[in-house]
Parts: sequence; structure tokens; C-alpha cells
Amino acid sequence: MVRPRVFPHNKQILKRIKNTVSPVESEKYIINRNPRNLEFLRIAAKPKGYHLDTPFSKECNYWHKLVVTPSAKFVTAQLVHHQNGPVIEASTKEWAIKKQLYKTSDLSAYTNLAKVFAQRCLESGIHEMSTKPYSGTKIEKFMEILQENGLNLNESPEINSKPDPNINRYQGRKMTPIDWKDIVEHH
Amino acid sequence: MSFRALSFLKICSPQFIQARHGHRIRGVRPGVAKSLVEKLNPKIEDEELVRRFDIGFPYERTPRSLEFRTRYEHLKKQKKDFNFEKKARSNQLEIDLEDVKNEWLKSAGPLQLRKIAEHYGIYNDLFGKFAYFVPRVEMSIRYAIDKDNYHPVFNGNRLEPSQTKQAPEVSFNHKFSISYKEKPEEDTMWTLILTNPDGHLTKENSEYVHWMITNIPKNDIAKGEQIVPYLQSIPFKGTGYHRYIFVLYKQDKKLDFSEFKLENEKNLGDRTFSTFDFYKKYQDFITPAGLSFFQTKWDESVGELLHNQFDMKQPIFEYDFPRAFLKYQKWFPKKQPFNLYLDRYADPKEVNKRYLEQRLAKTHPFEGPEPKLLYPNAQPLKKEIPSWYRTEMRKERLGRGRIIDTE
Repeated sequence: MVRPRVFPHNKQILKRIKNTVSPVESEKYIINRNPRNLEFLRIAAKPKGYHLDTPFSKECNYWHKLVVTPSAKFVTAQLVHHQNGPVIEASTKEWAIKKQLYKTSDLSAYTNLAKVFAQRCLESGIHEMSTKPYSGTKIEKFMEILQENGLNLNESPEINSKPDPNINRYQGRKMTPIDWKDIVEHH
Repeated sequence: MSFRALSFLKICSPQFIQARHGHRIRGVRPGVAKSLVEKLNPKIEDEELVRRFDIGFPYERTPRSLEFRTRYEHLKKQKKDFNFEKKARSNQLEIDLEDVKNEWLKSAGPLQLRKIAEHYGIYNDLFGKFAYFVPRVEMSIRYAIDKDNYHPVFNGNRLEPSQTKQAPEVSFNHKFSISYKEKPEEDTMWTLILTNPDGHLTKENSEYVHWMITNIPKNDIAKGEQIVPYLQSIPFKGTGYHRYIFVLYKQDKKLDFSEFKLENEKNLGDRTFSTFDFYKKYQDFITPAGLSFFQTKWDESVGELLHNQFDMKQPIFEYDFPRAFLKYQKWFPKKQPFNLYLDRYADPKEVNKRYLEQRLAKTHPFEGPEPKLLYPNAQPLKKEIPSWYRTEMRKERLGRGRIIDTE
């Protein structure tokens, strides 16, 4: 069997890598143990996906995502976290919601489900989530009401602590290559 | 060199054309070998060592056959209502959200609340890796603004520290039963604790206790013993969102918690607390039954509180981004611009400071910075100036390089 490769082998290098993350000596620090804190502050990394995924891998590039699964009879809305899976759920299958509805998949069911789902998200402190574009009158109405109730459906991007790769610090800003054809056509 | 050329010739000649006959399997054959999923999640030999325990109360729900009858009749009745149908078809039906929540808390709610608490890592930080509980008793906690307006606490909603100055109003359903068959108990005893597991100033992995009331008879918080007086939330500047967690325990009998009393209220260190140790000591007599929490971020009221109550300077923190991994610094680096090479190994804060000072030296206090040159590349530079400094000047005129960070 092939042995899994260990990287890096050198103990000194491992120690130096550890030092880049651990706090400096004689400096006071505290650790915030809230696992969602860095996501709310936009410091945590979003998963970027594999190289050959969909362009810019939008499908997996999120912290929290809204998933709506309509079926012939019911609708369910889920808030999915990229590591913990579905966290918050609201569905017209639930007796609590079904009790007050005439039908469990018509337009009024969608509008009321949106209100319940938005309430549950806000009560558990999640105001932002990303979505994929859904089409259909019912689901578009669903999205509208989520936004009316205070949810942001465009998740804000992460803060880049690293310098922009397009800026070369030693030679200034990288120039985009000039298209000579365009210049010739203009004149 | 000559040998290499010869071997190359040999291989290329038609006698030595390489061909692959068949396919040879490397490693164990598929089916016997571990799949990728198995490799990523290695199987644990003794599952008993990793098992998690429910330390809360169980609950036996009403059987589905009993529920179904009443539900079916309710829906049948509703469908016959003509006005109700008309509302639904014209999309004017508005359901009662409070009723939905109450019904939800009776059925699937507590299990989903557990999921959310798990998402916020609450059981892990309070009770250790191997314990969890389902919040069976619902609490309504709210901070009063006026007579009629409140800031309620749910499960993770965001509040500001200035909104939490006074102690909140707490109420819960004290009539408690484990099963739908049993009659609920009337005379019950409770303890309520408010802790903050994030941001202890001196000790790692410990909490500050902000409020502790024990021996609460029935529902009346005012009649309970106040062991630790209330303190408003104090998330320090630059540390982000802190969780403030209310945990409600059910007591079997009256207990003495006087060991947790504060010696000096003006010392923040006296509020150091560990829920894990607390529960470990009294686990035979108390069981967690209710949970709710909120999140807060720094606010100006935090500084005032630290100055007035604790005579402390306000600590200010900054997130420590991982630093760059660099090669060892050399005494004589070849082919490296000396000024940039030294900057790379210097403290980035000091380098930024230097650039900022350079910039501020050229700005007039009233008229602002110097106007930018129209054609900066067309302006001649003196030849007496050393070349490295000429490039620096050029970069400054064009607004490039490290000076961008100071803007």
C-alpha cells in the first residue's frame, strides 16, 4: 500500500509554520470560542471548491445557504451550513404551519412559510445567506418576502487579509495588456 | 553527456520501442481497498469512548394515533369554511406566527433548538465534548425598554450591550412532566445561570458568570436566592460576537450554593466560573432543562462600565491574522533590492507608520495634500539621485506600491 505523504517532513519548518499562527510571546490575547464569530466578522475562509468546479464555484462558495425544495404537495426551506449541514428548517409538512393553511403548496402557503422561516433565522442570529437563482412565480414571491422580513440574500464576501495578487508590491500595480487592435480601430 | 545522447538514440531506434502490455494494478485492488469516504472518516474501534450522552430530560410524546384523529377533524372542518378558502385562493391568508411558534415548541421545536445550539458550539464549550441536552422547558427572557417595549432573548439573536444594562424579566413554565401520561409537578425548584464562555481575560477555556439565582420556588425569580448579582454584558473591543447563555436547571431538592458567592464585587476575576466543574459537582441533584442565549458586540457602554465599576482601563484587541512565512533572512542577499528586502522582514506596522509619516509630511494642514502631476512620467528626475530612490519617487508619483496601504 502507498503510504500517505506527510507534508512537510522537516520539523524546523513545521515549528516555523506553527509560529506564524500562534500568538507572539509577552503579548496579551484572548480566544473567542464562538464558532460563528469569524464568519460574522467575514474573516473566516469560504470553501472555494475544486479547480474544475462551476465557474467561480458559486455553488459551494458560502457559509450559509438557503435551499428550497418544492414537491407536488409540500415545500421545505432549509438553512444549510457548509460544515454542519442543515441547521434551521421550516416546512409545510409541520403540523404547526399546516394547521392554519388551506393548501400546503399554493401561493399563500409559500408566502406564509417565508414569514415563519425568516422569523426562525432572525431569532437564531443569522441575517445573511446565499442562494442560487430560483425561477417560478411562487418561489420568487417566497424570496421577496424573505427580504421584506429583514434577511439579506446576498452573503457578503470574505475579507482578504492577504495582499491582492494583482498588485505587485515591488513593481507597482500590474497593468492589463493593451489591445493594439482596439487602438487602431479608433483612429 | 555522450552517454546520455547514446542512450537516447538506443531508445528511439525501432528495436527498443516501449509498449505497455496490459494494466498492472498498483496497491490493493478496488473493492478490498478503502474507498475515499472510508479514508476521510476513519472507523473508530471503540465507539463507547466517543459516545455522547443526553444529560437532560427525556420526553414521551403523545402517540400519533391520538394526535391524528384531532388533526384530521380540524383540517376537515377548516376545508369546509368558504371564507377561509376565498382568502387562501386570493393570497390574503395570514397565519398567526405566535400560534405557530407555540405549536412548534410542543412538537419538533426542542429538537431543532438543540441543532441550533450545537451549531453555536454551546454544549461543547459548557458541558464538554460528550454531553448534550434537549431544552424541554421554554423560557421567555426579555430586557425592558419601556412599559410595553422589550428586547427579547431567543436562541442566538443579536443585542447591544447598552440594551442589557438592567436584569431581564424571566418567566418559564414551572409545571413539569416527563411524559404526556403523567400529571405535571407543581412544587418545583430551579436555578438560573447566565455565563459568557468567550473572552475570559486571564484564564483560557473558562467563563465569567454574570448572574446566578438558585432555589427558585415555582416560577418566582424574586423569591430565589441571588448568589451572584447581575452584570451587564461586556464584550471587549475588537473581539467580535460573544455568546451570553442562560441555562435553567431543575433541582431535586433545596441546595446550598453559597460557595459561589462573590468576595469582592469590584473584582472581575472573582466571577471566573466553569459550568463543567459546577455540573460535575451537583450532577446528582440538578438537570439542565432550559436554554436560551443572545450575541453581543462591543459598544460604548462597555468602556463606561469598566471604568466605573472595576476601575479598569478598557482593553482593545485586534484579530491576529496568520503572518507571512518567509525564508531565513540573509546577511548578503544577492539580486535583491536592499530597501524592500529589509522592509519584508521588519514589523509591518512600523513600515506602514513610516510610509504614513512620509505622506503626512507633504500634506498641508489646511490645504490638504499636494495636487497630483498631470503627466508624472514626463517629469525629469535628476541623475545625481541614486537609482533606488528614483524608483521610489516614481512609484510615489504614480501612487503605486506599498504606499497604497496608507490611503
